[in-house]
Amino acid sequence: MDNRFFSLFNLTEDRAIEILDTPPDLVAESDSRYIAASHLINFQTDRSISALIRAVAETDPRLDNKIVRRKSVEILGRLKAAQALPAIRFCLQDEDCYTVENAVWSIGEIGTQDPEILAEIAQLLEQPGQSYRVMIHTLTKLNYQPAVAQISKFVNNIDPPIASAAIAGVCRLTGDYTQMERVVAMLQNQNVLGRRLSIQDLIDARYYQAIPDIACCPVSLVFRLRGIRMLAEAGIGDGSIDFATVQPYLEQSLRDRPQDLKLVHRYDQLPELSALIRDLYETDFGKCYLATQTIVDSYPDTAPAALFADYAEEANNDYGAHFHVMKIMGWLKHAPAYDLLIEALHNTQPQFQKSRAAAAIALGEIGDSRAIPELHKSLDTKIWDLKYAALMALEQFGDLSGYEILKDDTDWLVRAKANSQL
Amino acid sequence: MKSVVTTVVASADAAGRFPSTSDLESVQGSIQRASARLEAAEKLSANLDNVAKEAYDACIKKYPYLNNAGEANSNDTFKAKCHRDIKHYLRLIQYCLVVGGTGPLDEWGIAGQREVYRALSLPTAPYVEALSFARNRGCTPRDMSAQALVEYNALLDYAINSLS
Repeated sequence: MDNRFFSLFNLTEDRAIEILDTPPDLVAESDSRYIAASHLINFQTDRSISALIRAVAETDPRLDNKIVRRKSVEILGRLKAAQALPAIRFCLQDEDCYTVENAVWSIGEIGTQDPEILAEIAQLLEQPGQSYRVMIHTLTKLNYQPAVAQISKFVNNIDPPIASAAIAGVCRLTGDYTQMERVVAMLQNQNVLGRRLSIQDLIDARYYQAIPDIACCPVSLVFRLRGIRMLAEAGIGDGSIDFATVQPYLEQSLRDRPQDLKLVHRYDQLPELSALIRDLYETDFGKCYLATQTIVDSYPDTAPAALFADYAEEANNDYGAHFHVMKIMGWLKHAPAYDLLIEALHNTQPQFQKSRAAAAIALGEIGDSRAIPELHKSLDTKIWDLKYAALMALEQFGDLSGYEILKDDTDWLVRAKANSQL
Repeated sequence: MKSVVTTVVASADAAGRFPSTSDLESVQGSIQRASARLEAAEKLSANLDNVAKEAYDACIKKYPYLNNAGEANSNDTFKAKCHRDIKHYLRLIQYCLVVGGTGPLDEWGIAGQREVYRALSLPTAPYVEALSFARNRGCTPRDMSAQALVEYNALLDYAINSLS
């Protein structure tokens, strides 16, 4: 699990429990029970779990308490606190759909085969306004066969992500994969959340055939890589696929060329460069990749200066635009961006983590050999995609020494890559 | 884009009927509140950067120990994440004020976002804290009229509730 952000608030366990136990009306303005509940993820102790259970029992209906209660339910799930199951189960009947959602999710994390609890979750599928995806995921994860009929009712739901979850759920529970191409088609949904969520359903269904389609899906490479990696891990583990099958799609995603994606957006006329640069700040990365492609195709001469200016002004502090600036400098093979890319390659701030692998790829594109020792430094990090991208960039320089260095790497994908070349 | 008007028409059409009296009353209510919503939308639009900046600055002030430079606890981490995402949510709130319904937040900010945050273990606390600050900071008549503030705060509450 990615835990880069778990220690965001740096509270002690005692202090977090003390804040969480404070009655909602008496919390000081400088404290937050919501943050205290969030922070207890760091303490898998009976004391923390008991405090979270007490927070779940506090049913003050005001918003400030409601969100604390919900978060406490979620954290108990993350802590896999089986002793909290009765308290969490109680929340399945809550009036607040998000509290119910978190309770169902937490039960899935903790795991149970209690038929009464599972039937209760299945029954929620009959109620209006619930978070059906989470219920379907949990029932499927816990292999609750009696829910097949109830889940089947959602396979043609008007909301594509709900339909996607239901199709994947039925496939997993029945072994009938004939409808899975409908989930694959949702990788081209107009809504970015729809695209992201269909990747999750393909992962859950272990639908290995979709790996090439995931590699083309216009979402952030974080989602593509997560999908491909998780499917590869499962598929190689059960002997369904091998690394050589996955490798081209994995590397296509790491390289992340916009022309390798099946974009779902189009411009009706060529936008000004300034408008295209604004699009790099979009939260829908599909739009960012369209802007990237258009900048590279239509403004190769004027874009670098404009990107440097925008970087100094704003993109240096926006983890989305920061990433795209690095990529574009590489696609434009803009040699003066060398220093900028080296800085990004070694930037340890977690929100800019994906810019590091992007910078490695861009440095490979630019081809300035001063980058070789810098890329070697990246082989010695804990970030798998950075190490893998550095290997790919070094390949472009004709430096193949990284394979020997990483042949026993702790990360299995990096190890597979290194050994595939030895 | 879902709004009170489109919801009423869609549900009437689905049932093959004319909008009922209560349907029309809800549309009327939405129209009556439109000028307050548009006032809030205009004020928010004019101050979007400031509101977002104030919100995350307030979080930093509230949690001064976010100060291990270069690591997950750093101010920069928190501020950069907050700044980008808070601006995104405020923009969606502004759209909601214009539309007169929660459609933009529902469709672009919430549906599936909770699942993504959970799957990637992303923290919701910074957003919740910053949006809570924005809600508590609003002041009438300094920032906008009382009715406009009611509309604005209702959407901030909606976003806080949905993200947490």
